[in-house]
Amino acid sequence: METDAVQQEVSAPCVELSASQTALACAAAALVPGLGHAVMKKWDRAVVFFVSIILMFFIGVGLQGRVFGPDFTDLFSSLKFIADAGAGLLYWMARLRGLGVGEPTAYTYDFGNVFIYVAGLLNMLVVVDAFDIARGRKS
Amino acid sequence: MTSHFTMMVVFSLLVSLVFTFIAKTGAKERARYFLYLFGSFILISIAVGWLMYPFPF
Repeated sequence: METDAVQQEVSAPCVELSASQTALACAAAALVPGLGHAVMKKWDRAVVFFVSIILMFFIGVGLQGRVFGPDFTDLFSSLKFIADAGAGLLYWMARLRGLGVGEPTAYTYDFGNVFIYVAGLLNMLVVVDAFDIARGRKS
Repeated sequence: MTSHFTMMVVFSLLVSLVFTFIAKTGAKERARYFLYLFGSFILISIAVGWLMYPFPF
């Protein structure tokens, strides 16, 4: 009985959405972690992505990590900005509210930065996942 | 939260959770994959930490 339920869940049909619905899901996912999946009614994924990525971002800020601004003077600065900005509206809200100033002398500064980078990078993966689901490549 | 180990565990937990939900469907398969990923994160981190121990960083 349990095996049947798991089998049904695993073999849920892949449904391809229209181009506009796909664009909407990807844009929503890029702006707010998990929102793209919520638009497609993938509630379990939406909740996990929303909670995990937001938690990760704010733990990073709490560990006195820095939210890097748009700085394209060298490769590493650009990559830091791109990784951080992957978090979408979270990133811009933090920037506008003056959060994530960062304290380089703090013991946890580097850990905080890594949490913030990875929150952004995970959200980029989540956008790709939303795209795959919307195009019917996975259920 | 200033312990390296605690930070590593929290990091591993959150990243494993997101990877699991991206990669797998089905509760059992997700649980198994999550434990595998989380365990790998912790064990490999500790192993790499011990390997780096002799280096004077």
